[in-house]
Amino acid sequence: MARSQSADPPRDLLGPVQGEVSWFCCGSAWGPCSSAGHGACGTCNSGSMQHAWPNTSDACLSITRPDSCGVSLSRRTCGFTHRTTALCTGTSVVTSIADCGPQTDLFCGERSCCGATCASNRLLDLTPAAFSKIASLSAGLRPAEISVP
Amino acid sequence: MTSRRQLLKSAVLGGGAGVLAATAMGSLGPEAAFGAAAPDIVPGAPDPNFAEGRIRSVKDNTLFVLGSNMVFHRIRVVDGTSLWKLGPVAFDQARPGDGLYARGVRMPDGVLAAESVWLNIVNIKGHVRNITSERLHLDHNGQEIVCHQVPGKSVAVYSDAPPSADLSLLRVGQHVQVLGAWRPDTNQVDIATVFSPH
Repeated sequence: MARSQSADPPRDLLGPVQGEVSWFCCGSAWGPCSSAGHGACGTCNSGSMQHAWPNTSDACLSITRPDSCGVSLSRRTCGFTHRTTALCTGTSVVTSIADCGPQTDLFCGERSCCGATCASNRLLDLTPAAFSKIASLSAGLRPAEISVP
Repeated sequence: MTSRRQLLKSAVLGGGAGVLAATAMGSLGPEAAFGAAAPDIVPGAPDPNFAEGRIRSVKDNTLFVLGSNMVFHRIRVVDGTSLWKLGPVAFDQARPGDGLYARGVRMPDGVLAAESVWLNIVNIKGHVRNITSERLHLDHNGQEIVCHQVPGKSVAVYSDAPPSADLSLLRVGQHVQVLGAWRPDTNQVDIATVFSPH
């Protein structure tokens, strides 16, 4: 089936985008993470300031499918940096792309809130080192703003 | 104004007043600690103020941890350190064999003065393969993870609804994210929160 293409430019080209941000492990690890590997870029490590992005390549996009949730995101490849700002605390972290993800289409329409401030759809996953700079790992999922520093 | 990071540093260096002051400022819990100023780390680089690995031994207030990358860490727990193991816990719940992530302040002698320590925490996504009494069987990248519901602890978050102790709305075949505490050396996890998109 052909992927639906929007004529509109990717949302993140026009300015910051808001969405849900979670964390994932990669690289050498313990427990269920021990089989994670170093990600699509081959450099991912839980202790480094890195993140996964849903559009790092055609192959990546065909898995994550943010377009199926009505979200168009720019192609950005390994090493590209984003700033992620937690809407709950206003704290931010700058990280570089090290993997493909999250699988946005599997959580279409999901919404996270901090009081009345909400954001929908999973747009980015941070490593534990990065996520723990802006929120507790025990929070698991947070609404955030994603921009180019 | 004295930052929480400075207070932590002071606590580890033996400044008792630092610990008292930290307590007076409120918990150094993970949510509270994030406002603390810390130098920016180069994107893509390892964060020296973060550690992961498994506890090899516990002595006094120090965790001796072997990182999965074989780097050894000494992690100092002070009065204000927040510890999590399926929820907030005391230091005596940290055991050899536990996996952990820790964030804090790296001291000149290499010790990490911990703001927060998360014991056995995992955050995994997968398809629900089966649901049995008190258990969720998850297919996580082809690996089966058995997730246990813990009465009084486990909650489900259905999109933006408030957390609920009712996990009965979860369905076989759907995709979920499970935040929980790994049972060391098994494929089993105790559920803290299940995130469901609907």
